[in-house]
Amino acid sequence: MKTRTVELVASPRAPHFVGDGFRVHNFIPSGFRLDMQRMSPFLMLDYNSTYNFPPSDKPKGVGVHPHKGFETVTIAYKGRVAHHDSSGGGGVIGEGDVQWMTAANGILHKEYHEEEWSKKGGDFQMVQLWVNLPAKYKKTTPKYQAIKSKDIKRHELPNHEGTIEVIAGEYNGVQGSASTFTPVHLFNARLKKGGKADFQISAEYNTALLVLEGNIIINGTEKVPTDHLALMSNDGEKFNIEAVDDALVLILSGEPINEPIAAQGPFVMNTRAELMEAFNDFNIGKFGYLED
Amino acid sequence: MQHLRIVDYLSSKLHIESDSISTLFDTCILKEIKKNDFLLSENDYCKHTFFVEKGLLRQYSIDDNGKEHTISFAPENWFVTDRESVYFDSPSRYYIQALEDSEVVLIDENFIQLLSEKIPSFTTFNDRLLHNHIRHLQNRINLLLSASAERRYLEFIEMYPDILLRVPLTMVASYLGITPESLSRVRKDLARKNFKK
Repeated sequence: MKTRTVELVASPRAPHFVGDGFRVHNFIPSGFRLDMQRMSPFLMLDYNSTYNFPPSDKPKGVGVHPHKGFETVTIAYKGRVAHHDSSGGGGVIGEGDVQWMTAANGILHKEYHEEEWSKKGGDFQMVQLWVNLPAKYKKTTPKYQAIKSKDIKRHELPNHEGTIEVIAGEYNGVQGSASTFTPVHLFNARLKKGGKADFQISAEYNTALLVLEGNIIINGTEKVPTDHLALMSNDGEKFNIEAVDDALVLILSGEPINEPIAAQGPFVMNTRAELMEAFNDFNIGKFGYLED
Repeated sequence: MQHLRIVDYLSSKLHIESDSISTLFDTCILKEIKKNDFLLSENDYCKHTFFVEKGLLRQYSIDDNGKEHTISFAPENWFVTDRESVYFDSPSRYYIQALEDSEVVLIDENFIQLLSEKIPSFTTFNDRLLHNHIRHLQNRINLLLSASAERRYLEFIEMYPDILLRVPLTMVASYLGITPESLSRVRKDLARKNFKK
């Protein structure tokens, strides 16, 4: 079995605000090595590195907007987000929770700092990931998987070196609770200083590691600092990480979806014609209605 | 100079190779403009037609009560100008503002003249563009005088399929000549008809 090497360590780009509630560094899509096709099935990764929001009586966030043709995955590390959608759904994503929303045929939603949290303010740290759907699932009914922190399956590493939280896919026999349309692994590795974890994933799966806390070393040689993203080559199956200090790492890996991508704004389809249809569906209310 | 969308736009409309016209644009000015900045303000003399390479512009007026009225939006591949100011040398009644970080090609009368001389089919095309623009304005007057808010909205989304996601709804309402509340009502009614859970 060959070792999978590091292809690129990406620094966080200058942050920008999504609405007024998410201050994010965009990692995917960017450049030719982190573009949508290279990173398939991952279309987008926005990282809100730890940022202190002052108290606000009016919750900050993003107003009503649509999605169609893919899934949004929101992972809350610090802070709380409330969300509502055009099919009447809603809820709160608290610290350690994951919300896996299948936008598929089209949905309107809005996301704001949860009201009570907003009044107090505090540190906020989140990841939003877009996962593509194959053509045959792009027109299925939207749905949610609200995965609470306490329900996330965990693998304890030997010698109390840390924990692997399995959000989706499989690690060392532990199956994640999220169901996915194509094979996807999504793990949080919480490692103590000096803690090590080994990974073994098919070479063709596109794989990246986002370091949220601490510093790590991949395969004993490549140092990846906090808030950086390591893109792994597709040249082997196994790799390992070691925490230089207490570390938190998001590992994302998925089987590529080998289909054309037509993406504009919040819609990701296969053809330009389907994109135009998505805009029209949104414009004439086929995604429903949601008050701002 | 970077490769320009306007070259591709004209080559596809005029059915000629882009290589054969790209050098004509070497002297053109490509202007970058930040979100919220102005290309034209009231009482300025407008000297150019603007072709949007990237981004989004809005042309609007402000009435005596300070209320804004949107004349047009200009996303990528659109032209926008104040023809009265350019061709009749009068102070403008309008503002042209960037709603997103944008890049525009500045086109003046001399350049139109140059294109007409160098590209035989350009004059016919330019006339057609002008007729099309007049047709659009006539239709817009007719809609403002006679059509329901829903009809105006449906015509708007056909003309500008992706604009709703790029501009505040208050600006769309000001284009349609209706209140933001009416626009919300129209959209809610359409969703009631078209949304299937």
